[in-house]
Amino acid sequence: MIQIENLYKTFQHENTSTTVLNNINLHIQQGECIILKGVSGSGKTTLLSMMAGLDKPSSGKILIEGEPISKLPDLFASQLRAKKIGMIFQHFNLFDHLSVRENVMIPLIPSGLNINEINQKVTQSLNLANISHKKEALASHLSGGEKQRTAIARALVANPNIILCDEPTANLDRTNSLLFIEILKELHNLGKTIVVATHDPLFDNVSFSNTIIPMQEGTIVEGTVVNE
Amino acid sequence: MLNNAFFHFLTLQLFKERSKHIGIIIISVLILFLLSSVLFISSSLRHSLNETLQVQPDFVISKVQGGENRATPLTWSNELLNIYGITHVSPRVYGRYFFKSKAKSFLIVGVDFLDEQAHKNLQKLIENIDIKTFLTQNSMLVGEGVKEYLAHNFYDKSYNFLTPKGEFKTVKIFQTLPTKTNLIGNDMMIMPMDLAREILGYGEDEVTDIGFNVPNPDEWTMINDKVSALHYDVRVVNKKEVQQSYEHLYNYKGGVFLMLFLILLSTFMLILYQRYSMVHSNERRHIGLLRALGWSIHDVLKLKLLETLSIVFISFILGVVTAYIYVFIFSAPLLKELFLGGQNLTSTIKFTPVLDFSVLSSIFFIYALPFISAVLIPVWRVAITDPKEAML
Repeated sequence: MIQIENLYKTFQHENTSTTVLNNINLHIQQGECIILKGVSGSGKTTLLSMMAGLDKPSSGKILIEGEPISKLPDLFASQLRAKKIGMIFQHFNLFDHLSVRENVMIPLIPSGLNINEINQKVTQSLNLANISHKKEALASHLSGGEKQRTAIARALVANPNIILCDEPTANLDRTNSLLFIEILKELHNLGKTIVVATHDPLFDNVSFSNTIIPMQEGTIVEGTVVNE
Repeated sequence: MLNNAFFHFLTLQLFKERSKHIGIIIISVLILFLLSSVLFISSSLRHSLNETLQVQPDFVISKVQGGENRATPLTWSNELLNIYGITHVSPRVYGRYFFKSKAKSFLIVGVDFLDEQAHKNLQKLIENIDIKTFLTQNSMLVGEGVKEYLAHNFYDKSYNFLTPKGEFKTVKIFQTLPTKTNLIGNDMMIMPMDLAREILGYGEDEVTDIGFNVPNPDEWTMINDKVSALHYDVRVVNKKEVQQSYEHLYNYKGGVFLMLFLILLSTFMLILYQRYSMVHSNERRHIGLLRALGWSIHDVLKLKLLETLSIVFISFILGVVTAYIYVFIFSAPLLKELFLGGQNLTSTIKFTPVLDFSVLSSIFFIYALPFISAVLIPVWRVAITDPKEAML
């Protein structure tokens, strides 16, 4: 499903180069739930961005269902991202001037579906993320938990196989964080492949996660924890 | 992929972010209003000028001494008639008459009402004029500005001219010229030629100048040479030269306004460019987010192009319509004075509505192309960067 081989990412700044990802090799199967754990600066968010095709590696490759996302032309990379990957961001990244329903429909606009078909999919997604009661509310008027559920609905609306979550509970209280973990569990049960980058201890003992991968200074630390 | 969902989203972007767009639309409408007003005025003036010149003689000759115009001998008319190719020789008497107490002046135009050409031209100015009654009394036709000014000074029915001989000559105000002639006739007094001679101090065998036509344009140069050779002190001016000198004047004034407009437009475009290029701007973040959610560069550019075009069209229509109302219905207050210069008399000049497609398309392209570029170039630059970087 997701295959990462010899991945490096280096930033150049005023004649100084900083290696953020150092020889990452990872193979994630369909339906797996992976937790990337590490402190800030360990490279987990950069790795997640590259899996989503939001950033390009300095060397190495990432294959999403056999497709090298970082090397595809823009149009194909965008289609791959729209159809196969749902992304949930740390800061939710909603359009504040739009309503919940309008935010959720955004990934489907370039798909060529007509507005009625899009509305049907949006309704299903809002129900799945349990935010349909707020569908006409402006994103700027939502609480943190509601924003997170809107972001989840948006990530699910195109029915992608892969869900990538970047620090999803960083801006949530404990109750909402636990609710989010419950939603992830449901998604896992639906057979989605999930990758979560987090440093939240709440994820240490989630029952549905197959693997916890500790990261430090751009490398995967030896001794990967595997939940049985 | 321009389906209804795309247009639905475009409409959402336009209406839900209207507070963001409204400022741009207001500035755009103001810029377009100014540009359209200036171009409407200059094309209307050019149109009126052409119409006026159409009824003017092809050539005008006058006597010049020491570089200044002197009274032209009437006998020159007969000399002109002897040149083959010349038709409609018409001596003209005109000159400025100063209303001394207020330093205002009127343009006295003497017309030979029995001359067929002069009669036709006058008929174009005013319909239903009773020439017979007009000629039996010392009468004149006056422009609206003259009428208003004289009435203000208690000359409602007639005016007493002071002739160069020191005598008073009472002339009846017969009729007022229609408003549509105000551009040329506002300060005009049209009267029989002999009466004009008496008031302006011309002798019986003298005129201000002599106009004539040359129907064959191929003969213009040859006739010009022949007439110039008649006398050492004759000045020959043709219609095209008059037209050019007026057009240069209006183009110069229009050019000054256009320069100001271009400075204003450049400033506005720079602000727009800045707005989309700024590293941490909302627009930049939104573009990055759309890309992260699966929109291609092409999709983003298409959305922004349609969004910009919508703003451009709304602004264009509002700007042009308000300029049309301002110029052709309200006669462009303020701008009219700047364009026509200080008015000798209070004027109610009406600009003739002229809607020239080339003017409209010039306005559109002068405005729309820089506007679209100022938005789309930075949008494109953001769209081709990695979404993660754009969203920072």
